[in-house]
Amino acid sequence: MIPARPARRSLTRWFCLAVSGLTALAFAGMVALFAFESLPVWRHAGFEYLRGHQWFFRAQRFGALPMVYGTLAVSALALLLAAPVGLGSAVFVAEILPARLRLPAKTAIELLAGIPSVVYGLLGVLLLRGWMLRVLAPFEPLSGDTLATGGVLLAVMILPTVVTLGDDALRGVARSQRQAARALGLTRAETIVRVSLPQALPGLVAALLLALGRALGETIAVFLVIGRQDNQWPEHLLSPASLAAAGQTLTTKLGGSETHIAYGDPLHWAAMVALALVLAILVASVTLAGTWLGRPRLAGAASANLPSPAGGDPGDPHA
Amino acid sequence: MFFLVLAVLALPAAGGRALKVNGSSTVTPVVADAADLLQQTAGLEIVVDPAGGSSGGISALGDGRVDMAMSSRPLEPGDHSKFPSTDFRPVTIGYDAVAMVVSRDVWQGGVHALSRQQVRDIYEGRIKRWSAVGGPDRRIVFFDKEPGRGTWAMFAKWAYGDTQKAPLVSFPKVGSNQETRTKVASTPGAMSQLSASWTDGETIFALGIRRPDASVVYPTREEIAAGHYPIRRPLLVITDGPATGAAKTLLDLLLSERGQALVEKHGYLPLEKPAATEAH
Repeated sequence: MIPARPARRSLTRWFCLAVSGLTALAFAGMVALFAFESLPVWRHAGFEYLRGHQWFFRAQRFGALPMVYGTLAVSALALLLAAPVGLGSAVFVAEILPARLRLPAKTAIELLAGIPSVVYGLLGVLLLRGWMLRVLAPFEPLSGDTLATGGVLLAVMILPTVVTLGDDALRGVARSQRQAARALGLTRAETIVRVSLPQALPGLVAALLLALGRALGETIAVFLVIGRQDNQWPEHLLSPASLAAAGQTLTTKLGGSETHIAYGDPLHWAAMVALALVLAILVASVTLAGTWLGRPRLAGAASANLPSPAGGDPGDPHA
Repeated sequence: MFFLVLAVLALPAAGGRALKVNGSSTVTPVVADAADLLQQTAGLEIVVDPAGGSSGGISALGDGRVDMAMSSRPLEPGDHSKFPSTDFRPVTIGYDAVAMVVSRDVWQGGVHALSRQQVRDIYEGRIKRWSAVGGPDRRIVFFDKEPGRGTWAMFAKWAYGDTQKAPLVSFPKVGSNQETRTKVASTPGAMSQLSASWTDGETIFALGIRRPDASVVYPTREEIAAGHYPIRRPLLVITDGPATGAAKTLLDLLLSERGQALVEKHGYLPLEKPAATEAH
């Protein structure tokens, strides 16, 4: 497993290898444990567990789809709201703000990321629920606890991630590229749109995916404002009306009292653990995709992945 | 692997040798006050946590994760069958009632009492508007107490005879009493089940129960004490085997005159006093 290259067998190397190996092992162990503990429910329900719309534990009916939907709907909405605002701020911080203001601005934005999620949740209960009830009035929500409320709250929570990783991606674009663009007569706006953004694209997408990973796994803040209503399967997926209703995500279900009831009942417990398995796989794949896209690479490799900006655009200065 | 993770999690908590109490959010304020008192007077470290509700506390006790459980529902056969090796010793420290509570607009719109059948009709979705029970023309926003909460168990037992017989319905859910109070008070047309002591008659109101003979009984202290109000419940603290050490100290305090004063302070009914003390 460990390559036998005596010359590079330094202590640091061994230590790093051990620590990262331990981390990988912990994740593999966790997934294996979840898979093992959830076996009874796969035997009981099979694929119905992933396809079923109904979850009534007292009747031993376990269908997880509405919760997967809730998780995806809330996270998608959060990303939709956070992406333009977050990437816009990232461009502003990285490209427009003078260097001496950049650090304070970035620090302020990163401070937002340090606020515990339960605090966001309480702010959501205090400020967001009533406001959403009024804003969503055309869709006649029953209360301010809706999927949309969770999405808006999550958007605020993942904003710092989008801004700070987006800023990093934009700063990664070589200064010489910008200078070349300006020397060719492009305005600052053109430089941003034609040079910085396309060059940083993989990093920006990675920023969004890592933010999505955070949104998928967030629990307590969403817990307080989503209503935690089971079996909400909408007639039209992602329609505004369905977002204006209460719902349940994988995390809010796991964070609720049912986990305590399930404990000691093998089938019910397996059903809860299977939710954790689905969630872990979901978050891991999104995070992996984000990390893969955002991996450091040579400038040449990065530009090879760019969508060509020249394609049939009459106003293209490069044409 | 699993046990390794558990052991790591348990380490910081075990370091303080604190007495851990977990369960019902209804019982929590009383026990928390008693714990504060013991910390000041005897220096005892007691951690009181309402996270999982009554069933969560009972599970945690059965599993050996806490030293004492708080419950706002009696023990059920299911609790014993889930944890056969646990010697549950419940002690009643007071009484409480579960009320059907509504937001201010519903109360002021004229809904002051419901019959058991009306409550069932609302719970099963046959009645969807307050106008059907003499209230304003507004949709009923029902917040269902989470399963596993003592309040929900008492509600289901009253409305359907047995928690297992309660219909399979899905409403937005609320957990602790505080969450119920906040959400009902801030949502027009809201209704939920809540400990009667947690209503204030300003933002959240306790409905009366209309009996078959059309008379109405409200969850007042007198009616609860007299046993007229139908959803009365004991407030319990539970230990595994007889209470010893710090748990015994806490239990003794809760049963003492001082502890019973705390039960009253939070709006619950204290244990019935012996006849001798009633005399003067």
